[in-house]
Amino acid sequence: MLKRKPAAQVQIDMDKNIARRKIVGATFFMFLGIALFIASNIVDELRVYQGATVAVYVVAISSIILLTGYSGQISLGHGALMAIGAYAAVLSRNYWNFPIPLTFAVAVLAAALFGALLGMAAGRLSGPYLAGTTLALAVGLPSLANQFKILGGEEGLTYDVGFPPLSLGQDFTQYKWFFWIAALAALAITWVIFNILGSRYGRQWRALRSNPTAAALLGVHVARSKVLAFTISSGIAGLAGALMSMTISLVTPSAFPLSLSFAIVTGAVLAGVTLLTGSIVGAVVLVAIPEVTAALATHLGGSEKVTSNLPGLMMSTLLILSVLFFPNGPQLHRRKTRKS
Amino acid sequence: MSRIINTLLIGISGGSIYSLMSLALVLVWRSTRVVNFAQAGQAILSTYIGYVVVTHTDNYWLAFPVALLSGALIGALVDIFLIRILARRANSGPVAAIAPVIATLGLLGLIRAIVGMIWGGDLRRFKLPVTNHGFTFGHTTIPFAPINLLIVVTTVIVMLIFSVIFQRTNLGLALRASAFSPEIARLAGVRVDLTRTIGWAFAGAAGAIAGVLVTPTNYLSPNSLDLLLVSGFVAAVIGGLESLIGAAVGGLVLGISLAFVLEYISSSLAFPVAFVVLMAVLLIKPAGLFGGKRVRSA
Amino acid sequence: MFALRRTKRGVLASATLAVSALALSAIPAQAFSVHAETGVTATQIKLGITIPLTGSAAPGYSKIPSAMQAYFNYVNDNGGVYGRKISLVVKDDAYLPTLAVAKTNELILKDKVFAVVGALGTANNKAVAKSVNLGRRGIPDLFLNTGYSGFADAKKYPTTFSLFPSYIMEAKIMGQYIKENFAGKKLGLIYQDDDFGTDALVGFKQAGVKFDVSVPYASGSQSAQSAQGWIGKLKAAGAEVVVMFGVTTASGAALATAAAMAYKAQWILGSVGGDATTLKAVGVPAYVLTGAMGASFLPAPTDTTDEYVKFFQGINTKYNGDAVFDNNVLVAMNTAMMTVQALRAGGKNLTHASVMSALENSGSSFASASLSPINYASGVHVGYSGYWFGTYNSAGELKPNGGAYSVYTTDSGAGAIVKSTFKRPALPANGLPTN
Repeated sequence: MLKRKPAAQVQIDMDKNIARRKIVGATFFMFLGIALFIASNIVDELRVYQGATVAVYVVAISSIILLTGYSGQISLGHGALMAIGAYAAVLSRNYWNFPIPLTFAVAVLAAALFGALLGMAAGRLSGPYLAGTTLALAVGLPSLANQFKILGGEEGLTYDVGFPPLSLGQDFTQYKWFFWIAALAALAITWVIFNILGSRYGRQWRALRSNPTAAALLGVHVARSKVLAFTISSGIAGLAGALMSMTISLVTPSAFPLSLSFAIVTGAVLAGVTLLTGSIVGAVVLVAIPEVTAALATHLGGSEKVTSNLPGLMMSTLLILSVLFFPNGPQLHRRKTRKS
Repeated sequence: MSRIINTLLIGISGGSIYSLMSLALVLVWRSTRVVNFAQAGQAILSTYIGYVVVTHTDNYWLAFPVALLSGALIGALVDIFLIRILARRANSGPVAAIAPVIATLGLLGLIRAIVGMIWGGDLRRFKLPVTNHGFTFGHTTIPFAPINLLIVVTTVIVMLIFSVIFQRTNLGLALRASAFSPEIARLAGVRVDLTRTIGWAFAGAAGAIAGVLVTPTNYLSPNSLDLLLVSGFVAAVIGGLESLIGAAVGGLVLGISLAFVLEYISSSLAFPVAFVVLMAVLLIKPAGLFGGKRVRSA
Repeated sequence: MFALRRTKRGVLASATLAVSALALSAIPAQAFSVHAETGVTATQIKLGITIPLTGSAAPGYSKIPSAMQAYFNYVNDNGGVYGRKISLVVKDDAYLPTLAVAKTNELILKDKVFAVVGALGTANNKAVAKSVNLGRRGIPDLFLNTGYSGFADAKKYPTTFSLFPSYIMEAKIMGQYIKENFAGKKLGLIYQDDDFGTDALVGFKQAGVKFDVSVPYASGSQSAQSAQGWIGKLKAAGAEVVVMFGVTTASGAALATAAAMAYKAQWILGSVGGDATTLKAVGVPAYVLTGAMGASFLPAPTDTTDEYVKFFQGINTKYNGDAVFDNNVLVAMNTAMMTVQALRAGGKNLTHASVMSALENSGSSFASASLSPINYASGVHVGYSGYWFGTYNSAGELKPNGGAYSVYTTDSGAGAIVKSTFKRPALPANGLPTN
């Protein structure tokens, strides 16, 4: 017969466990950061730029993973929330000359605030109703920028994060600077999400996702919990928007089309929507696929009608196949098979 | 006063097209619980097929049934080769809720790319079946034209046909039964899979009709029906996603609101209006105008 | 790889470099061999373009790259540019600024093109100019396909050369024309509610034209349904002269709807939305267009009496698979011809700097189909500055008012609008530049 540990001892063990996991996690993130730093010095400038784009997508995709994979809500309008973050950041930069880190904070706050309002309004909705509302938002919101002079219309507002500090050396390119900022933000936000998901709220969301009724019976405030998830997810999307605008140095309505909202949902699915670390897979695929297919198109040749549509064709096919064969993402699929 | 009536008529004509697209989405939603984003793709492919017929025969009235039938066929094929497999493979886990969204979005992209490969990206015109010259009363010509009348009348006829099918025929009973409870329907001897495919075929036909009706007054390109998809979806959500009447009313509500805002407030607010109308309806009735409470949490 | 040098040492170094470059450029190029410029080899010059080939902005514009390549192929078949054949790397940006930046980066960092030519779209070009920073990299950004006035700032965009007259110039000249020809009439305006339309508003204000009714529309919202609303407003206000400053699908919807609603007005179409071939393609019957006025800086693509148009039509038949010859094809081939001259003027020892200084020094004398003078000069990177007005005849051809092309020129600021005395250089023999 096993000797049972006293409850207090179990609690201490658990705390120790959590603390140990946190230390391991933090070390992992630090090593990842160092690896990225070294990588950014080896690869050429195009890869550095693409790395910055990957980091932006990592942030955007994690916002969807948190929302859809953990709290079970769907959004087809995160492109619009990215636009809100981007505009908030650029306005705070251009009009009050906020320092860069603060403009990112402004982006997060503005998008989170809007997300909270939207979440409260849409909190009672689920499934297709939420999808419809967010879809209409994605189509409607960015075009509003043409209505207000302060938002710069279609030609957009320049978003300048400035040159890299001189202390980084003379050969430090602008794109490397973008990459550092975006990668740091991606690492930090992933770390934050990890901790949120490990917290009480994360557990509530998972409970909600698997069985809303049971969760409600256990005392989870369903509506409040959902609105909270939507708010946090929106804030993260806002950060992604600001980072994206940084990489193209411009905020303009046409940078936030409906296809952007679709792209990040796609990335989240390719990533395996329930696994946060999958965000990097989804982001890399989003950036790599167009290049790979374009190269293939050039290789295969054919009329321009065919070659110009080949990337779209292959991206769509991949998307369909991945939903058919790895509906819960490659990672979860693997994990499941290992367990069984 | 005449301005109000004119705006109303424009709104009804535009709203009819939304209603048809919305009907297509509702038919699919009812039969399989899938929001079909590929509906715009299926409609554009059917419309291009109709376009080929029009350019070769110079006869719109021949193109209309051809597009309609190919729309139905495409719808059935999508169900058989994509949705059935999807239902078997992605039926659990958090992705189950969004897998159909992703799959149909992928299909939309796939069809658009194929259409682009075959016909290219150029704008194409589509012969007008009847004139777009507004009706004239005495010396005033109103915006409402025979083409608009054709759109409205066709929409009404399509709605009536579907109502009769759903309410008065065995097929309609089977469709409603499989939508309401597939298990019980199966036990009662309904061939649920076949019935669902028929639902998809009906939807494909409705989408194709929307495509061939709206294209003559606009133009045709691989992307020309994208916004119609968004409007149709918004209309379907306004109507509550469940009922045919809801689809029709949702489309009209959206079309008429859009017409009045563009006429009386600002003609550059076209896109935000859809969002505002949708929010307004959903804040008052979260399950849409004609949706039940049960449905919303399903 | 470009780096940011902001130390004093860096400034000093670049100053020294600049001075020595100036000194060296005085020496004949043959005197020594220098390291070949990126994108240029003994047999090839590689150029790049980003343009929408897919997506909702693709119709019309997607024809441009192949038309440019058609003219380049013709030149290549006739000896190329000093023995070098021109190749054009085409990237689809789907009209999205994010993609435009990503694809331009590929052009520059992976394909290593010599210059970017004919890139399209205001927001896209603005994002590319700032993020890719062609200026700092010293890469020529030639003959942009946009009329946004902001690119005139040669300090901000040192390597950018725009070709088209700005939308402000177009609106100013149009405003003047309206004042002279339609004084006292009720005026209406339909405009696209973005950079394109707002630039136009600036120009009309500059010209002192006030519209009795103006109808903005959101880009992408144009359809038969929304056009019924526009026409309703114009009709209610009793506008007798209507200016249409929108894209072709919008002007098409407006014209068709106006005819359907039996609304008669004198239409004046801006150059962007006034291509008769495209209007026909979007379903505007010829009789609707007849009598409308249009503005352009190029001859009408249907004007076969024009030697440039006739020549380009020949190239189109032989090298471009006989595509429908519209304004887009004409613009593309004209841009290609300008490019060949710029490359020739850059000399046998082709460098980024040599092309740009050649454009500033001799660009104004290049042969081009445009009826407007070319204004390139030291520090002036805006090409055309003028427009002529015409009326569409029953065949949908834009015929100059008064029988002959009379061009008016101006600037994007408060400058006067003057009748141009410019005489266009004759088409080089066989359409092959010899500058």
